[in-house]
Amino acid sequence: MGDRMVFREHLFRSAAVICGLLTLAIFCFLCVLGLPLLQDGHLLSLLSSPWAPARGLYGIFPMLLASILLALLSLALGFPVSLGCSLLITALAPRRLRMLLIGMIRLMAGIPTVVYSFAALFLLVPLMRTLIGRGSGLSLLTAAPVLALLIVPTMVIFFVAGFEKVNRAHLLALDALGGSRVQKIIHILLPGARPALINGTLLGFGRAMGDTMVSLMLAGNSTAVPSSLADSARTLPAHIALVMASDFDSMEFTSIFACGLLLYLVTGLLMLLMRLPGRSPDNES
Amino acid sequence: MKRSQTGVLLGLLCMTIGFLYPGMPLQAADDLAPFTGLKGSLRIAGGTAHIPVMKEAARRIMSFNPDIRISIAGGGSGLGIRQAGEGLIDIGNAGRRPTDTEIAKYNLKLFQWAIDGVGVIVHPDNPVRTLTSAQLQGIFAGRISNWKEVGGVDREIDIYTRDESSGTRKVFWKKALARGTISDRANVVVSNGAMKTTVAGDPFGIGYISIGYMDATVAPVSLDGVAPDLANVRNGSYRVARGLYSLTRGEPAGLARAFVDFLFSPTGQQIVQDKGLIPVR
Amino acid sequence: MTGQRKITEITVTWFCWLSGLLLLAALVILVGYLIRRGGPVLGLSLLFGDTPPLDALLLRKHVFDGLYPALAGTLLLIIGAMVLAIPLGIASGIYMAEYAGGRTKAVFSLLFDILAGIPSIVVGLAGLSITIFLHRIFGERIMPCLLISCLALAYLVLPYLIRTTQVALESIDPVVRRTAPALGASRLQNIGRVLLPHSLPAIIGGIILATGRCAEDTAVIMLTGAVASAGIPRSLLDQYEALPFYIYYISAQYTSPDELATGFGAALLLLLLCSALLVLALVLQRRLTIFLLYR
Repeated sequence: MGDRMVFREHLFRSAAVICGLLTLAIFCFLCVLGLPLLQDGHLLSLLSSPWAPARGLYGIFPMLLASILLALLSLALGFPVSLGCSLLITALAPRRLRMLLIGMIRLMAGIPTVVYSFAALFLLVPLMRTLIGRGSGLSLLTAAPVLALLIVPTMVIFFVAGFEKVNRAHLLALDALGGSRVQKIIHILLPGARPALINGTLLGFGRAMGDTMVSLMLAGNSTAVPSSLADSARTLPAHIALVMASDFDSMEFTSIFACGLLLYLVTGLLMLLMRLPGRSPDNES
Repeated sequence: MKRSQTGVLLGLLCMTIGFLYPGMPLQAADDLAPFTGLKGSLRIAGGTAHIPVMKEAARRIMSFNPDIRISIAGGGSGLGIRQAGEGLIDIGNAGRRPTDTEIAKYNLKLFQWAIDGVGVIVHPDNPVRTLTSAQLQGIFAGRISNWKEVGGVDREIDIYTRDESSGTRKVFWKKALARGTISDRANVVVSNGAMKTTVAGDPFGIGYISIGYMDATVAPVSLDGVAPDLANVRNGSYRVARGLYSLTRGEPAGLARAFVDFLFSPTGQQIVQDKGLIPVR
Repeated sequence: MTGQRKITEITVTWFCWLSGLLLLAALVILVGYLIRRGGPVLGLSLLFGDTPPLDALLLRKHVFDGLYPALAGTLLLIIGAMVLAIPLGIASGIYMAEYAGGRTKAVFSLLFDILAGIPSIVVGLAGLSITIFLHRIFGERIMPCLLISCLALAYLVLPYLIRTTQVALESIDPVVRRTAPALGASRLQNIGRVLLPHSLPAIIGGIILATGRCAEDTAVIMLTGAVASAGIPRSLLDQYEALPFYIYYISAQYTSPDELATGFGAALLLLLLCSALLVLALVLQRRLTIFLLYR
């Protein structure tokens, strides 16, 4: 009996270790496959030069910039909406509406990226073409709202979970003191749920950075450095999807691993930044 | 005498099969006969100009013999060449001739079963229907950025191009753009089909596709006065032409062999023609 | 009530209601548009084309103009990936919540956050490259296929499962958490009999999230074995069709209004599939909770 228990506890640990190792494995994998690039001293030119394989330039700076721009833009659109909606669910809406909203959010979490992009291709792209007045309607501005819609459910689900985790006693105390719902939000829910807010936003940003289909289908995929938000641009994931097809041993293909590595590092850096002293989500819970 | 006997036998066989599959022309049954008794799956990927023909061929073969599974994917010529070479797929498609290095490296066998052209297309509402080579090169390099400079409306030109793996892009770049630059402001799409639908949806777009894909949703643009159509490709006056290849690593065998042979059979070549390409036989 | 506070009250309230309304509007527009365009084509012929449904279901004939192979492919993908991911993900989540502490927990936590951030396209890239690597070693049998896609998808949804399990367990009321051990239950009994049943709704929420991710992901499968036309996979080593990939394919390559309508049909179908999964999970969730709490 005791052996079995120890065995099970070992199982839990091994599972976690396996998952952790998998994370590291993909990093090593990207490094090893992108190695030729680093050895040839291409690293600097990679980050600064344009993408022009015909001229021997495999720079990914435009894609990096487009990725970050697009992710920030969609987060700027998506975060307030997520926050508002999760507060509505937690504190403001009547019970019935609350269930309805939760159902809606869960449904939205299940709506495929490709379905969003597919509908946007026929609804949003012609509209943006008219609104912007130039270009094809495929641009960062077209992709951003769709991407925002995509990351909102993830964030809301995390936010709501976080709000529900907030100490009930505090809420009851505030009720007893005659505090309003909004006071409850500002003084108890928001400070109390900060770790969850950070966690959810992290996942949202990660998802926005890493999403392939929205930018591949809606952002236009041009390799130029975007000079405005109304420009067509190519994100790193879309770049990987588009260059994927080249020869394995070619520089183009090697440079994809650099893109992957870059995406990986950006994510890692983000996670580390969020863990600066006093902000660690795990210490507070 | 012997030959006529075989002929009679074949005829009988065709009639039997024709009877079993009503509506199927006798010739088709004859060309499909090699698939009788074959089993297993065949993987095809690569050039997107090939896909309509591949799909139709697969459809006929799989209806004839449900034990056969044929999977068809796009990805571009580069992918077709590479994956066939690596042995990840059984047949790779390419809209350009593989380089000699590629052929040697992978021991590729080439089968060119159709001739195709690559033509410039615009939206049907666009009044511009003819361009000179110089104008075309100017547009794709980004030097000419407004339709009014080539006789159209006062509106920025939206350039559409293909990804680097594309054989269509390579051929177009080599033969129509004379290896000139393609602006990095160009929007990139991933297949012939995507190019057609995108340009059909953008009144100010310009792109290039396989002639086999052209239909009324897009308008072909003449290059130096020569219209991109099958007749002009056939008589050699339209020079942005290319062969469509299927590739195998080493000599094909079994299902792959039968499939390649089917492409060259009268039925296969008829499909090629039906899909708007030029048969080689 | 002071004026400033009143303004804050009103602003916050309006802001929240507007956010909710905006989301609802977006959802209604999206679903309405899909139903308007895809609704008319919904029906058996959307699934099976010209093939008799029974022949198709029994795999006697191939379906050409229908979505049946794509639907089947997607279901197989979900099942495969979830079977692989759920045990690993939940076990890791339990470890994180109940066993790990201090520095170990911080390190794992960082790793899992990074894992969550790895874009699906990178996972697809890894899947493809590993496949090629294996192919070069083991030869012809290893190719991009259903199995590789399931593995890659399982990898992709792991962090969702780990995180939701962990958060669910950690958010259990300390009173509930301490009761069973106080009565003499072991740590493992506490987890199995009290903590897990108690946090089941949240864990299932995570599983729903993960299932949706499996059903929808296009970037991974387009690099690891999904193709435009393949029929029903007969083994794990076959290539397959999948609904999301089909939608992507049609969005770019439709050649006729009919094909586009099929694309809308597929989009609607995928939407329905995800909703059905959701409802199923919700029903299961209530029963399962009761079952586990009162056994």
